[in-house]
Amino acid sequence: MPAELVRYENATKLYPGADQPAVEGLSLEVAAGEICVLVGPSGCGKTTAMRMVNRMVEPSAGDVFIGDESVRDRDRARLRREIGYVIQQVGLFPHRTIAENVATVPRLLGWDRERTGARVPELFDLVGLDPGLAGRYPVQLSGGQQQRVGVARALAADPLVMLMDEPFGAIDPINRERLQNEFLRLQAEIKKTVLFVTHDIDEAIKMGDRIAVMRTGGHLAQYATPAELLMAPADGFVEDFVGADRALKRLALMRVRDVDLWEAPLAFPGQSSAEVRQKLDGAEVPHPLLVDADRRPLGWLSERDLARDIVPARAGNSAEPVLDCDDVMRDALADLLRAGSQYAPVVEPPGRVTGVLSVEIISEFLASPDARTDEHSPAERPQ
Amino acid sequence: MISDPNIPAAALDLFGDAVDFIFNEQQSQGEQVQVGGLEQVGELAWEQLKVTLYALALSLLIALPAGVALGHMRRGEGLAISIGNAGRAVPELALIALLAAFLDVGMFSLALALCVLGVPPILTNSFVGVRGVDRNAVDAARGMGMTETEIIRKIELPLAVPTIMGGVRTATINIVATATIAPLVGVLTLGDFIISRNVYGDAGVLAGAILVAVMALALELALAGLQRAMTSPGLRLTRT
Amino acid sequence: MTDVALLLAQVEIRDRSGPPSCQQANDFFCPGWVAENYDRYVDPVLQHLVLVGTSVAAGFAIAFALALLAHRIHWLAAPLLAVTGVLYTVPSIAFFFLLLPITGLGRTTAIIALTAFTLQILFRNIVTGLANVPPEVRDAGRGMGLTERQLLWRAELPLALPEIFAGLRIATVSTVALATLAVFVSGGGLGVPIYEQLTFKTNVIFAGGLCIAIAMAFDLALVTAQRAVTPWLRVTT
Repeated sequence: MPAELVRYENATKLYPGADQPAVEGLSLEVAAGEICVLVGPSGCGKTTAMRMVNRMVEPSAGDVFIGDESVRDRDRARLRREIGYVIQQVGLFPHRTIAENVATVPRLLGWDRERTGARVPELFDLVGLDPGLAGRYPVQLSGGQQQRVGVARALAADPLVMLMDEPFGAIDPINRERLQNEFLRLQAEIKKTVLFVTHDIDEAIKMGDRIAVMRTGGHLAQYATPAELLMAPADGFVEDFVGADRALKRLALMRVRDVDLWEAPLAFPGQSSAEVRQKLDGAEVPHPLLVDADRRPLGWLSERDLARDIVPARAGNSAEPVLDCDDVMRDALADLLRAGSQYAPVVEPPGRVTGVLSVEIISEFLASPDARTDEHSPAERPQ
Repeated sequence: MISDPNIPAAALDLFGDAVDFIFNEQQSQGEQVQVGGLEQVGELAWEQLKVTLYALALSLLIALPAGVALGHMRRGEGLAISIGNAGRAVPELALIALLAAFLDVGMFSLALALCVLGVPPILTNSFVGVRGVDRNAVDAARGMGMTETEIIRKIELPLAVPTIMGGVRTATINIVATATIAPLVGVLTLGDFIISRNVYGDAGVLAGAILVAVMALALELALAGLQRAMTSPGLRLTRT
Repeated sequence: MTDVALLLAQVEIRDRSGPPSCQQANDFFCPGWVAENYDRYVDPVLQHLVLVGTSVAAGFAIAFALALLAHRIHWLAAPLLAVTGVLYTVPSIAFFFLLLPITGLGRTTAIIALTAFTLQILFRNIVTGLANVPPEVRDAGRGMGLTERQLLWRAELPLALPEIFAGLRIATVSTVALATLAVFVSGGGLGVPIYEQLTFKTNVIFAGGLCIAIAMAFDLALVTAQRAVTPWLRVTT
């Protein structure tokens, strides 16, 4: 089934007896095949909003559309069988095997045994589950494995839309990252429309094509791409929620090639030192970089190296860290800081120097309001 | 024996007679004695109550410390549970008969026999109740320096009250039921009205049944009230 | 009487009362007597089995229906628990005789009373079993598109099975013991031989023992059945 768009039109939920609505006047549109992350503090209504799509919560006012059909026009149970539903505690049926759990919705839809039997191994493959687990019971699986089964189960009948409520929240951080990455790879393949709820802004930035920041009382504070969110938070609340380190967060979205690098004053072995010294005049980098005939970096030349007439074949200081132009900026900064260097050579395949990256470049970039950032979709983003 | 086709009318009649039997002395059918009336009812009721309370006290004495201790130490599950299961399988009639067969029947020996029915539920429930107390609370108490006895007294027992009282109520029901057939071996309780039909007549039989039922329900209500009173308000709020 | 006449008279008396030494002496237990007279107990055992089987089956059917009702309409749970509680508290023998004017002597009266006794434990256990289903299983089930009825039969009831079986075991064992009282309303069962010779130790011990054996057999059967229908509880993690 092709993915469909999801549209909220002034959706509101007021629980009887509550003085504030859980969700108020929510209007946003999630394009087909996109991941929309609903993020916000506890009680902001993000889960309630998500659950309006499969009518686990009925809107008190307003409407929710999948494609151009209101969810209200469908019978609830039938509607839900076309929507993938993944929750934090997974909710696998303890009394059914993994294979039976995954086959739940196909069975409900009346798929025959052959079709179901073919689909289950496919799903296992898709979510990276060992097929040997098919006959086991949920209690025998680890948390990470259980959640993979949860995702497989949700995808089983090839739904239009996927709803995911803090799906990786109960998993340990290492496996969580792995699951996130795998889900993004999966999404690149299957391109479902996903509504993803989380309270973790970092997860939101990582996973979302668009992020809907909600504040307590169920109001939408900002609906934007991750880059927009980081660069231009709509108000104080969003700014606070995104965090004081949002500048640093932006670095996760970029690669080294995305900034203007400094020119490296290159020196070849055998060159005259006087020539090299001339290059240094006015250069941003105070030391020359020794490279070989293929412009591969060999090291930084020290004052002593330049004392002789001829540039030596070996440099006094190592070229490390050497950065790749496709490196994630955040990792590049980390490398620089770890080595205690101010700057480092940047190479492109097959190893040729293209410039020098310095910490100064990075901070200037972060400070500048109209710096360009390459807006990769999450699936293509560095991981 | 009732074989009257006009059952509802006859039944109502009989219920009326039974009530009459309870309150007014009347002529016995078979022998020339006065039966029924509040005095006799009171006597037999008191007898039943006495033996019930006696047996209950004995059962508590035997089972409660054992169950609580085992539960606290978290050992002996097999024993506690299987005694509970076995106790349920004991047929009252056989028990009463064997009592008469092997011992001199009297208040004490009867109470002792009734313990066979009263001990298992109290033992099992005290065990389960005490063991089931939130371990974190117990650990915290231990960490604060409470002695084992204090932990039992101040933490485990109060938290286990609902479960333990459940066992006490079950024990009471079992004991009352068996005390009802004690007249078979000579200890005259309310059950005598039921068992000795030739003396008391059909009205007497029904009266006996009503009286036994009322006593059982009254005891149950009393114990329920006691349980309520003994359960800490904090616990009461969480019970479904 | 002469000595010989006395002796002869004694022998006569002994000869007339069947296997005399056992019944007369009334020792603790005479296996010999049992071996010769066990056929007396066959019918009572069969009647007993019928009493127990019918009562527990009927009790379960009723309790199950009530539990499903209470599952749907939550506030019914407490009143139903109270009503079944009354039926449980009233001693069975009193119950028998309260029913007597209405249903008369015989097996039916016994079964009605025994059924009533099982209701509370069965009802309570089924309700508790259903209530203990993890909330996330319910949430995921609904979210996937199971109707309430599908959720109940495919997820909640299977997961409630351990609790339900526990109740069945307790109810069955208790009913086996109680069914001995059916003799008082001419309902048959093992209570008959016990009551007929109440003072004869061997008889009481044997009949009582049969009772306990039947109870254990039922219990074992139920445990086995439970294991068979709950394979997921048997796996090693």
